[in-house]
Amino acid sequence: MIGALARTPATLRNFANSQFATLAGLLVVAVAVVLTIQHVLQHDASYFFQILTIGIADGSIYALIALGYTMVYGIIELINFAHGDVFTLGAFISLALFPMFGITEGTGGLGYIIPLLAVGLITMGLVAMVNVAIERIAYRPLRHAPRLAPLITAIGMSSILEGAMYLWRGPFNLHYPDLLPATRINISGVSIGVKDLIVLTLAIVLAVAFTLFINLSKLGKAMRATAQDRDAAQLMGIDINRTIAATFFIGAVLAAAGGIIYGLYINNVTFDLGFITGLIAFTAAVFGGIGNIPGAALGGLLIGIIAAFNNGYFDSAWTEIVIFGILIATLVFRPTGLLGMRVPEK
Amino acid sequence: MRGGCVVLMVEGLPTNTRGNHMVRARGLAVLITATFVAFACGGSSGGGGSKGEIDIASNLPVSGADASSGLPTQQGAQFAVTRAATVRGYTLKFVPFDDAVNGVHDAQKGVQNLQAMLANSKVLGMVGPFNSGVAKAEIPVGNQAPIAMISPSNTNECLTQTFDYCQAANGYTPASLRPTGKNNYFRVAAADTFQGPAMADFALKAGPPPAGLGITKVAVWDDEETFGQGVANNFAKEFTAKGGTVVDRKSYDPKAKKDFKDFLASAKDKGAQGIYVGATSATGGCIARGQMAGLFNPDIYYFGPDGIGDAQCLKDSGSMATSNMFATQGVADATQNPDAKAVVDAYSAAYPGSSNIGAYTFAGYDCAAILIDAIGRAIDKNGGNMPTRQQVIDAVATTSNFKGLTGVVTFDANGDPTHPTLQLQQVKGGAWTFVAQFSQGA
Repeated sequence: MIGALARTPATLRNFANSQFATLAGLLVVAVAVVLTIQHVLQHDASYFFQILTIGIADGSIYALIALGYTMVYGIIELINFAHGDVFTLGAFISLALFPMFGITEGTGGLGYIIPLLAVGLITMGLVAMVNVAIERIAYRPLRHAPRLAPLITAIGMSSILEGAMYLWRGPFNLHYPDLLPATRINISGVSIGVKDLIVLTLAIVLAVAFTLFINLSKLGKAMRATAQDRDAAQLMGIDINRTIAATFFIGAVLAAAGGIIYGLYINNVTFDLGFITGLIAFTAAVFGGIGNIPGAALGGLLIGIIAAFNNGYFDSAWTEIVIFGILIATLVFRPTGLLGMRVPEK
Repeated sequence: MRGGCVVLMVEGLPTNTRGNHMVRARGLAVLITATFVAFACGGSSGGGGSKGEIDIASNLPVSGADASSGLPTQQGAQFAVTRAATVRGYTLKFVPFDDAVNGVHDAQKGVQNLQAMLANSKVLGMVGPFNSGVAKAEIPVGNQAPIAMISPSNTNECLTQTFDYCQAANGYTPASLRPTGKNNYFRVAAADTFQGPAMADFALKAGPPPAGLGITKVAVWDDEETFGQGVANNFAKEFTAKGGTVVDRKSYDPKAKKDFKDFLASAKDKGAQGIYVGATSATGGCIARGQMAGLFNPDIYYFGPDGIGDAQCLKDSGSMATSNMFATQGVADATQNPDAKAVVDAYSAAYPGSSNIGAYTFAGYDCAAILIDAIGRAIDKNGGNMPTRQQVIDAVATTSNFKGLTGVVTFDANGDPTHPTLQLQQVKGGAWTFVAQFSQGA
């Protein structure tokens, strides 16, 4: 989709780059902001902060998934449509592991932190291995095929994962144990859920650790080099296959973490959850600028906040229209996203 | 003897195809006649043999998320057919179909099933469909065939009754669903014009439960489906008319909406004392209940239509599955009916376990029993011969004071029961339990 855009007719690109387009885009944003402020003022401030924290918590989950999309796109220019289902797999595997570690709902407390961490680590490891296997089976053999081919195998992998989870647990809404404390704290009259704060903190810690890894570690350097110029990186002695596999591994770790956090926060998962969540996270990645890592995090947060505000202040029936409207508007007016798309230069 | 065979064949054809232009029915007549001939000419024993086979089909969602309510209903219908075994010398056979795809009821699949049963000339009537959204697609097909359809659980009022909002709200009217202009569709459940308002009245009445809830401010949500939106609108209309206020009205897309915290925050902000959710468990009607902990006063009432009155809802509610949850069920509770005790006990013996009794199990039984009764009368009217599907429809339409397990059934001209009854259930000890029963027009 993005690749196609880079080759759009000159007229459309001229339009996208024109000042008129920028003005029109800004005008739409301004109208939306004014309308939102108007609605926000009709309610009290604590409601505003409540909606905001819900939006940030939801958004940080989208951000974790969006990071995986953007990283894979950055390195092999593939929109990995199976990524949303990898996220669901994280929720499903952790759900199956809980009873083995004696974790059940209603008996929470600090003693659960260690088993919870163990479940988290095992889930991340298993999901990462699945994602690396997907890369090995469905994408690596097609690395030199036309770009449409791996896109189609990605959609196929998405269906396979969904089908496997359907066969495993059936089509039901699965209740995910509510383990996070339900208490709320008051900060100068504004009540904020501890749950929301935990979700946000976890997401920030993961995103920061991930950014540090990309920027500081040797493997991260190899990933950046591969993204920039695969052939040159190979000539410099970088093992391309290993680097790409590592990208999928890390992407899946983040997605699995996202799946667990989602489960703990939403308390309900279904086998086809990854489809719509994946699409929203993909929108977030494009919104922030696909291939751009801080952009994905920012895009995720913004999409979450916009969705929560729309549900909280406006008509919820419009939420999906707004989200996917943003996707279309971004592609038309600013194909490079908010922070600019990082496309490997060739 | 040989002469007798020929006479039977010659007589058989015109009798059975009279007033019927369907080629299939003629094929059926030939088949039946052939069966007769085979019997007569075989000449083994005198009487006592079957006059042929009559099939009663069901078209319900019996796999996946919908199975928790669909399968017990199918079993109820099956039990009625097995129990009757024969009608006027014809052997009865039960032919079940599943209208679920990927575990969720599917209108397209329902129509395919219906076409498959139409191709089988032995099928004289159908029990189903279960969901109003599926009925919308099936009724026009069944109407043109025609075949008698009796639904145990469809509640959307626009399926049978004409209101000015039907076209705008649902995209159909009873007339648009019936291209032939004649009715072939019946149901035993109470319509949403009764189900929604009954809950609204209960919510407004002074509490504590089971007398009423005594609340005046509610949030109303729906799942954007034919059923959910319809019942939510009917609830809201009655609640407002009787002096209550709908403080927050929201719709959600069941495929995308899993986080209801913003909905809950909004309802709380507007001072809702209860949330009425026009949805089913399969469309995520109870996920929000599970997310209330900490965000909302746990004493808040959570109530809805029959769609949330099942085990899946309680699972989704998690630790919040408390006695502040209420649901209506579109039919009366057969276990409250002393006359039904023998059959209910026999069913429980045949299908032990609480998961085998759903809210519509005995409505399913009644639907099949009404069909069998009607087929019997149609056979009588047809001189003991296999009736046509139209004759069965005519017989169903004249069903009057039929003593079913869920009540005494008489159909009005629309195909609705004249005195629909519904029950109110409350969550007690982790299960939906009978609280009260309301009857309309009784």
